[in-house]
Amino acid sequence: MAAADAVSWYEASARQRVAAFLDADSFEEFVDPTERAMSPHLPLFELPRAFDDGIVVGRGRLDGRPVLVAAQEGRFMGGAFGEVHGAKLVGLLRAALDGKPSAVLILFDTGGVRLQEANAGETAIAEAMRAIAEVRAAGIPVIGLIGGRAGAYGGGGLIAGTCARLAVSEGGRISVSGPEVIETNRGAEEFDSRDRALVWRTMGGKHRRLTGGADAYVADTVAAFREAALDLIGRAPAFDRATLEAEQARLEARIARFGDCRDGAEIWARLGINDPDAVPAMTDAAFLETAAGVPEASHDAR
Amino acid sequence: MPDWRSERAARDARLEAGRAFAEGKVVVAESVTDLLEAVLRPGDRVCLEGDNQKQADCLARGLAACDPERIHDLHMVQSGIVLPEHLDVFETGVARRLDYSYSGPQGARIAKMLYGGKIALGAVHTYLELFARYFVDLTPQVALIAGVSADRDGNLYTGPNTEDTPTVVEATHFKNGLVIAQVNEIVERVPRVDIPGDRIDFVVEADTPFYVEPLFTRDPAAMTETQILIAMMAIKGIYAEYGVKRLNHGIGFGTAAIELLLPTYGERLGLKGTIATHWALNPHPTLIPAIESGWVKQVHCFGSEVGMDRYIRERPDVFFTGSDGSLRSNRAFCQTAGLYACDMFIGATLQIDLMGHSSTVTQSRVAGFGGAPNMGSDPHGRRHPSDTWMKAGREAQMSGDPALMRGRKLVVQLVETFGDGLVPTFVERLDAMELATKTGLELAPVMIYADDVTHIVTEEGIANLLLCRDADEREQAIRGVAGYTPVGRGRDRVKVEALRARGVIRRPEDLGISPLDADRSLLAARSIKDLVHWSGGLYEPPAKFRNW
Repeated sequence: MAAADAVSWYEASARQRVAAFLDADSFEEFVDPTERAMSPHLPLFELPRAFDDGIVVGRGRLDGRPVLVAAQEGRFMGGAFGEVHGAKLVGLLRAALDGKPSAVLILFDTGGVRLQEANAGETAIAEAMRAIAEVRAAGIPVIGLIGGRAGAYGGGGLIAGTCARLAVSEGGRISVSGPEVIETNRGAEEFDSRDRALVWRTMGGKHRRLTGGADAYVADTVAAFREAALDLIGRAPAFDRATLEAEQARLEARIARFGDCRDGAEIWARLGINDPDAVPAMTDAAFLETAAGVPEASHDAR
Repeated sequence: MPDWRSERAARDARLEAGRAFAEGKVVVAESVTDLLEAVLRPGDRVCLEGDNQKQADCLARGLAACDPERIHDLHMVQSGIVLPEHLDVFETGVARRLDYSYSGPQGARIAKMLYGGKIALGAVHTYLELFARYFVDLTPQVALIAGVSADRDGNLYTGPNTEDTPTVVEATHFKNGLVIAQVNEIVERVPRVDIPGDRIDFVVEADTPFYVEPLFTRDPAAMTETQILIAMMAIKGIYAEYGVKRLNHGIGFGTAAIELLLPTYGERLGLKGTIATHWALNPHPTLIPAIESGWVKQVHCFGSEVGMDRYIRERPDVFFTGSDGSLRSNRAFCQTAGLYACDMFIGATLQIDLMGHSSTVTQSRVAGFGGAPNMGSDPHGRRHPSDTWMKAGREAQMSGDPALMRGRKLVVQLVETFGDGLVPTFVERLDAMELATKTGLELAPVMIYADDVTHIVTEEGIANLLLCRDADEREQAIRGVAGYTPVGRGRDRVKVEALRARGVIRRPEDLGISPLDADRSLLAARSIKDLVHWSGGLYEPPAKFRNW
């Protein structure tokens, strides 16, 4: 395993991310693979199971501070939420209320709910959102990190929306309905899922950062995500009525200002970016400079 | 008095009939069908330029709209059956006979129409074979071709995708045929003359730019560690072993992985300059890191690749380019180069049998051959030596006087033991044979015959078939690298171990390769975006390959 500054977040597995993200050798896994907590449903469909059901949860240290971590494995069934997968995340969040860590970190990499165990998966999404609200109400920041191949889609996108802060890389995507779902329901004229440049202009990391959907934009390395997480823990908003009202106001203003836009690039132009068509090809450094000049990217809501 | 000019007279009559729809040589897109109905005669041999990549799609739509009462029973002679219109003409009766090479995207429909008797099939060819027959017994009476631009005199600029055009025009024009070109625009002066205007009879300004398929782009993000392991074995066990400098790669992920390992793994092995310097290859985006790292001296191309134009323009030391700066490709010449001037072909296939015959045919698809059988065959007409060629010849130990020994071309199959959907690559009997029986083909569609294959590389190891001395050894060598497929499990363990002791089979560990080292971090580029960075921003990938 190479040093964290050389490890690509996008390329790494969930376990590689956790190992390189936390302080060296500080990770202690809950319900580890030797316990064989596997999906009870997948065998009905003759589908292979994973010993960890596609999620790694546990505790560790981040710059010396105690944290809880959940990391989804996007390479197992697209990181989708099944019964066990969801229960591990919900259990971890509830444990935070007892253990009082400095933060809970969710390393998203998911297409949403696992179709083969959809009811259990949907329930888990709802339970996870409620648990996050309770954890945040207890004063513990919940931070989402999004830069994996599967993005944060479906219920994963919903859970991400309840986090105190989000960090995203260029390859990361955040949305509820995926490109194929939109195309299937509304037609290719509405959204051409094979136009991948369009997908990223609509759901990708740069777009989410520019519109304030994510609070930090980072390079695709484990080290960059670690640095961003430390920063975001330090400036997580209070979970109170004022924050929620600010978030509501932010979202209302956003839909009023951009609701008629047909493409991400139109929104960027309205945000005052001089050459919106150049945004997708920008290097990380050039993009950070551009994003710094966009007031909408920063806010104190959520 | 025999009439020695009947073909010329017929050509003149067609030209005259066509002029009613033209202004000089120029025809508007709306008049294409009128023009074609005027110049075509029932039973004509017609080449409708459908290449591996570019498509004369405007002319194809015009031909498909022809009235079958007037134009029928055409004999289509074209390398690619790619667009739906290429087969629509057989549904309507406009065309009846077909001789072709490659039908990738239409493979399923062509199979159905063959079963249904809609198409009278002559033969499925390789590119070079079909081109050769253009000059012997399949000379077109009318050719419908595609270019980027033309002037009013018909001087034609094909752009980077020259592909089949010069060959088609040569055969048609110089044997009393008529040539109609579709172009994206009519210009005052073309950037360069790829086809002189006196060989073009009519120019159609197309309604939309001609279609080009990005066939040769492999996304590094989709490369697996198994493919990387296979690529490492090939580099160490074959490229380095034989000192392969002149070569052609197939279009699969395995060979794309090799391209991406040259500047990393190849560099570490100290192989730069000693292997993979001269290529007959389309401009694969995955070759960019090797080019930028100074591995590649020269590349000649069959066609171009979508998004590579600007990059190629800036690398004229490596690619063949015209006075305008853009790529000049030529399928016929590049196929010849691959056949005679390359010491190795390495590519993938879908099925390999116990003797090493391989095929990309499945029961419901007739994909055709394209160029692989020419690239992947040992040309008996070759008369120039090279160290690589001679070493392979010595290993094959041909019988007779050693002073009369000749070399061998390396023909390497790079496959995973299980393909898509966990279908075994190794089989007792090729699906191609079933298809031949069902469709009444005289010749089973074998892509590469066993006697041309020299090596098979899988994640389990390399089988060197040159060193096999009889059919039984050959079968065990193939079983010995066939992994957990039924063919692999049917191996004779003792014989396989004996072959391994002789170096006929070599495992990763025999080559000093640990499978645990086969990691994606070895790839010089792990995403399409990395390729853009390597190219200094010159490579412009099509939207479907982007994730930004």
